Amino acid sequence: MDVGGSAAQFYAYLLIRLGFEERASLMTNEDSADVVIVGTGIVGCLIAQQILDAGLSVLMLEAGPRVDRWRIVENFRNLPPALRLHFDAPYPPKAWAPHMESYTDAAAAEYLQLEGPNARAYRQGYVRYAGGATWHWAGICWRLTPQDMRLKSLYGVARDWDFDYDTLEPYYTRAEYAIGVCGPSDSSLQWPPRRSKPYPMGPLPFGPGEQRFTEAAARLGLKNLPSAQARNSRIAYDGRPPCCGNNNCIPVCPIAAKYDAATALPKIEAKGGRILANAVAYRVETDQKNAIAAVHYFDPDKRTHRITGKIFILACNGIETPKLLLLSKDERNPNGVANSSDQVGRNMMDQPKLVAELTLAEPLWTGVGPVQGSSIMQTSQGDFRSRHGGALFRFNNLARSAFGGVAAVRKGLVGRALDEEIRRLSACTAEIAIEHELLPDPNNRLTLSSQKDWLGINKPNIYYDVGDYVRGSAKEYSVPLVRKLAAELGATDVQVSTEFTNSDHIMGGTIMGADSAASVVDLDCRTHDHPNLFLPGGGAMTTAGCGNSTLTMAALALKAADAIAGQAKRG
Amino acid sequence: MSPSDRDDAPPDFSLFRRKIVVGGGLLLGGLAAGTRIPAAPSDSATADFASQFMQLSSLLIPHQLDPNVGLRLAVALRTKDPGFTGHLATLLDIAKKKNARIVEEFFSDIPDGPLKDTALLIISAWYLGVIVDAPGAEVFAYELALMYQPTIDVMTIPTYAISGPNGWTSEAPPLNSMPTF
Repeated sequence: MDVGGSAAQFYAYLLIRLGFEERASLMTNEDSADVVIVGTGIVGCLIAQQILDAGLSVLMLEAGPRVDRWRIVENFRNLPPALRLHFDAPYPPKAWAPHMESYTDAAAAEYLQLEGPNARAYRQGYVRYAGGATWHWAGICWRLTPQDMRLKSLYGVARDWDFDYDTLEPYYTRAEYAIGVCGPSDSSLQWPPRRSKPYPMGPLPFGPGEQRFTEAAARLGLKNLPSAQARNSRIAYDGRPPCCGNNNCIPVCPIAAKYDAATALPKIEAKGGRILANAVAYRVETDQKNAIAAVHYFDPDKRTHRITGKIFILACNGIETPKLLLLSKDERNPNGVANSSDQVGRNMMDQPKLVAELTLAEPLWTGVGPVQGSSIMQTSQGDFRSRHGGALFRFNNLARSAFGGVAAVRKGLVGRALDEEIRRLSACTAEIAIEHELLPDPNNRLTLSSQKDWLGINKPNIYYDVGDYVRGSAKEYSVPLVRKLAAELGATDVQVSTEFTNSDHIMGGTIMGADSAASVVDLDCRTHDHPNLFLPGGGAMTTAGCGNSTLTMAALALKAADAIAGQAKRG
Repeated sequence: MSPSDRDDAPPDFSLFRRKIVVGGGLLLGGLAAGTRIPAAPSDSATADFASQFMQLSSLLIPHQLDPNVGLRLAVALRTKDPGFTGHLATLLDIAKKKNARIVEEFFSDIPDGPLKDTALLIISAWYLGVIVDAPGAEVFAYELALMYQPTIDVMTIPTYAISGPNGWTSEAPPLNSMPTF
């Protein structure tokens, strides 16, 4: 036997063998996966589950911490009454993953740098925690209407989506079944009444206030519809219990009857997905072909790490995703990754909100059932949209007992008079929210502030002006209408706010379209500039409509997931 | 449901195990798991003070008052205001002079100023569950805060279920139907 030859063959065999093992471990170790997802909110989690089901590997990065539900509930119960309406208060941010804290104006000015005539209306509330903003959302799941997607053709304003409602409809349905949405089977109560399947669960009952609001609206020829809600109704769904009326959806459902993405995290891990919490992505790295090569992140000790993969998804929300793209300028992408169109960070949208506070002669009652269970939606549609935006009207069903309690105690009342005044103020006051449709305007823009956070990352700076389209709507349409609603309810006093505030539906900053010169992502939320980078979520929405944006984000996520799975498998 | 049964919070986190600092020592303001025994302060001076506080509170507020919450409120109010113990005694005297059994029978006799402020602060603390309503303030009671009770026949205390799945209706009792508490 030639020992040298055998040894050489043996060593050659070892080298080849090690090479295979090394390549295999690249795909299954901590620093790489087929699909890398930045963000563990509803969009990231829906995509992760689809991709894992398609047999691919998934690694998720989350800037903030993982937390247990009981901790958030106890945080809430230990807030003084003054803070209980600040839904970010039970979610103190980590130093490395700041988010806006609303408890004082000074605190709110720390992270989001806001400017413009309506800076206050972009004080967006979200939490940088694993599970994202669905921890504290109301759970409302309106769809866009076919008209909402054709504003340019129908009314001569804004843009048309480059696909129609019927293209998106199957994804809306899949999203509703994925997260568990309840709604009416009666098509005259559906919004819009154009559905391929029934809602997974039937509607939740109205409480007294919602019922009386519905009756008052009907006398004005308006329908107060039961909301489509991501809340289990009557039955358990997807391993979560049905709603038992804990009336705390915002800031946290104590029993997980409301869908939140935190419930998806253990399922993702059970399927082999990996989640790295406290991992703050700060740079997207491109290669010489201008494909995405890696994402870099900081850990809480400020050490950097590099994650590689085949396909990358940024699902950080409508502020954090454009911020990350702009942070990632390089020689090939001098205006930021995915930004040859100069649209990254532009067209920032939300639904600017006004609030009517009512005092009534007769009790309405809140606090029975979920905090939001209905809205008037037909007021979002009409030919007036060539001149001003539509609006939705929503009776706020959050329990007003603490409001009544604090107000009555402050009057210095005692004994029986105190108790009666608490009851009266709790029962005989109400709030109606008005959320307006806003058009995409490239001047409503997110850029990088010169101010930096604890990690040295630029904070977001946002300029916001709701525009005459919204101001005109308030003046001519929505505020006069809310006064009519208040009168029909028998209000003895109505105070309508004059300063627009945020609805926390962050849209438009990575706008979708077929034209790569005017948009950031294509119709599958794939960036025009980088075939292996996807930006699904609110940022992709071409127009905002009046309704809460989450279900549309979820539908876009599933549409993107189909494209991503196909693309990853083709290599 | 007793407070120690609630939720998924670990027992350590229960408010009823909250330690109370009195002077330099520590009192366990809590209870053995599964029971709801009023706290017994270890020194008789504190016990007397707590008892006086509960007596005055009951005169100012004609409702059931939780002695665990009372002990913590009493200690905190005394820490906050050195004149508190004196006010307690004076307010009890005013009530006694009128043979008052409920607040309406003696409240108008309380002079404006620090005494009336103390009386109103005691009422406010029981109703709101805080002594100060500001960021960072200590919360002494959430579900036992009395402000939720006048509407408890209709509204849930947020975070607590009304009943079972979909277990509510649009019916409501009349406004003048005050719950008993």
